[in-house]
Amino acid sequence: MFILDSILIGSLRFVLEKVVAAAEAEMNDDTALRDQLLEAQMQLELGEITEKEFARIERDVLARIREIKRPQQGALTMSPEDKITGVDIESFEPDEER
Amino acid sequence: MRLSASPRRASGGVDAVELDAPRAFARWLAANRRALGDVLEHGTWLDRDDVNALLDLSIPGIDELLGILEIARLSESDYERIVIDTAPTGHTLRLLAAPDTVAAVAEILDALQEQHRIIRDQLARVGRVEASDRLIAMLAAQARDTAERLRDRRQTTFRWVTLPEAMSLAESEDGVGALEQSGLHVDAIVVNRVLPDGAPCPICDRRRAAERRVVATIRRRLGRGRSVLLVPAQLREPHGQRGLAALGRVMAHGSGLMARRSWRKAEPSAIDHLPSAISHQPWRGAHSAAPESIAAFQRASLLFFGGKGGVGKTTVSAAAALRIAKADKKRRVLLLSTDPAHSLADVFQATVGDTARRLPRGPRNLEVRELDAAHAFAARRVQLEAALDEIAAAFGAGAVSASAGSTPELVKLAPPGIDELFGILSVVDARSAYDLVVVDTAPTGHALRLLEMPDAAREWTQVLMRVLLKYKSLVRPGQLASELVEISKSIRALQALMRDGARTRFIVVTRAAEVPRAETARLLARLRALRLAAPAIVVNALTMSPGRCARCRATAAAERREVSALRRLCRGRCAMIEAPLAAPPPRGARALDEWARRWRQPDSSQGHKGQQRTQREKQEA
Repeated sequence: MFILDSILIGSLRFVLEKVVAAAEAEMNDDTALRDQLLEAQMQLELGEITEKEFARIERDVLARIREIKRPQQGALTMSPEDKITGVDIESFEPDEER
Repeated sequence: MRLSASPRRASGGVDAVELDAPRAFARWLAANRRALGDVLEHGTWLDRDDVNALLDLSIPGIDELLGILEIARLSESDYERIVIDTAPTGHTLRLLAAPDTVAAVAEILDALQEQHRIIRDQLARVGRVEASDRLIAMLAAQARDTAERLRDRRQTTFRWVTLPEAMSLAESEDGVGALEQSGLHVDAIVVNRVLPDGAPCPICDRRRAAERRVVATIRRRLGRGRSVLLVPAQLREPHGQRGLAALGRVMAHGSGLMARRSWRKAEPSAIDHLPSAISHQPWRGAHSAAPESIAAFQRASLLFFGGKGGVGKTTVSAAAALRIAKADKKRRVLLLSTDPAHSLADVFQATVGDTARRLPRGPRNLEVRELDAAHAFAARRVQLEAALDEIAAAFGAGAVSASAGSTPELVKLAPPGIDELFGILSVVDARSAYDLVVVDTAPTGHALRLLEMPDAAREWTQVLMRVLLKYKSLVRPGQLASELVEISKSIRALQALMRDGARTRFIVVTRAAEVPRAETARLLARLRALRLAAPAIVVNALTMSPGRCARCRATAAAERREVSALRRLCRGRCAMIEAPLAAPPPRGARALDEWARRWRQPDSSQGHKGQQRTQREKQEA
């Protein structure tokens, strides 16, 4: 039974690892986006997509990464001692540069 | 006669065979594809299509791996004795290490098969041995038996063949040392093309004196416990059964050249201290062609020098790099040797290593490097192990990383093919730091492998990237993916550079003799197939001023015929550059510089057309 156990436990551990990895990827969208960019780079190298298509994907992904980064950076600069005394609302156009 | 891939009768009692490694591998794969595919399919989550794509990839070092499997196969046949004509030094050492690589591969396959075996035996209660198990056992047994047979003195002996030249002496010492260290017994040293005694002649006398000194050193340093056989240089190359039988008799009974007493007396004489004598005489119908003035060498960013073993590639490429660097002080030049049996240090009579360095008293803009692929491989071991683990994870081959036995084993070895892989990687790395990279390649067969390497490596990266993309939901395309993208980009740039005749050129070095000429013809055809520009042939060691010496005159006449044949081979597509015989061959920056100044180019239409072609290619680019 030892052998059977090792196979079953091995497989179970593998599945659990994958679940954890998937959950982590969901939580941290930045990683998923970076992977997406890497995938597009591989597709470009394989000739599966054109330079133009790659440029479009790259633009989209980078814009989304920036969007995710903004609130995260805000949260990171706050310490528990900080107190919110008021809220400033500012509207802006999405950055089209990249 | 033409030889085929299976043994064919050459003469009474002797069969001969020329190994065509890629074809032999295709045959081996056809016979074992199913079993091998089963192992890969059982041990990974790859499907049959993925497995087939992997099996169809060309494998670096396949010559050595197949060589060792063929030796194993032939030694089980009925032949009483098997004589193996090996590749030049560097790759012979890799061939002899190949059994360990085959053993490591068998271990990896075994690890992949293990889980399938457990399920089959324990769950399905099927105790039957499958074709895959038989294949793994056969590979392991062949590797073990061949390694044992090679090291068994009663079964295997090694005869080291060399030339009576200082550079060959250094290579022989390294090679024989490496063989003995890996447990192989070298029982005889054969010194080929020793100049026999003859009438006084300024060139021949100088050569004899230098050869005598080299032979004395060979006897002293390598002759202990071994026989040293001297084979006289012949005016006509020995070929055909009669010529070879005569050579065989000399080998069996000795040539009487430099009898023991005379070599003992061979003290350095006054003549040895003179610079080398150069058989040079400018004649009508030729003009001086020092390397920097040769159109085929100008404005290139990558110059490969290649040809048959022993033609003088290293001397020619060293002289060319030196003169080119001197002519334009602003050009950063790297001379890189990718031959595992290096001789740059011997040619320059200076210390040359794996890190690029300037030569003492050499031009400041010239650096030289002898690539140590085994060292580079060992230095990247940690990275390689990580990469292999990632590949195993991408393939779902957890068993291989988990068992951890064979993967590190494979990484510990310097497997066949690494010289070419790291050779081409070094060229990629050097491109950004130098304006010109001059590559002194290994002899023909392996120079071609080096040139084919970018295509092969690109195929590998593409197959791996496809697998990563296909299983991206199971494995994140992490570090491995970004490295593959980077490698793929660099290779693409290198491929573009190599196919651009204005920037990359292959200079064929040869000698005016029949056997090198035949190899030059094959090399030119392969270069054309690879779409590489070969705008020049350097014919080395020509007797240009034979004087009254009968031997030199006969040699010069034979060489002229060969030069004409080489010119026909060029068919107006390349320039012919003639480099004079120097006795002894030029060593050290000063002698090389002096010698290269005496190169010449016949004023023939062929050379002119060759130059025009290079100019045209430049304009097209």
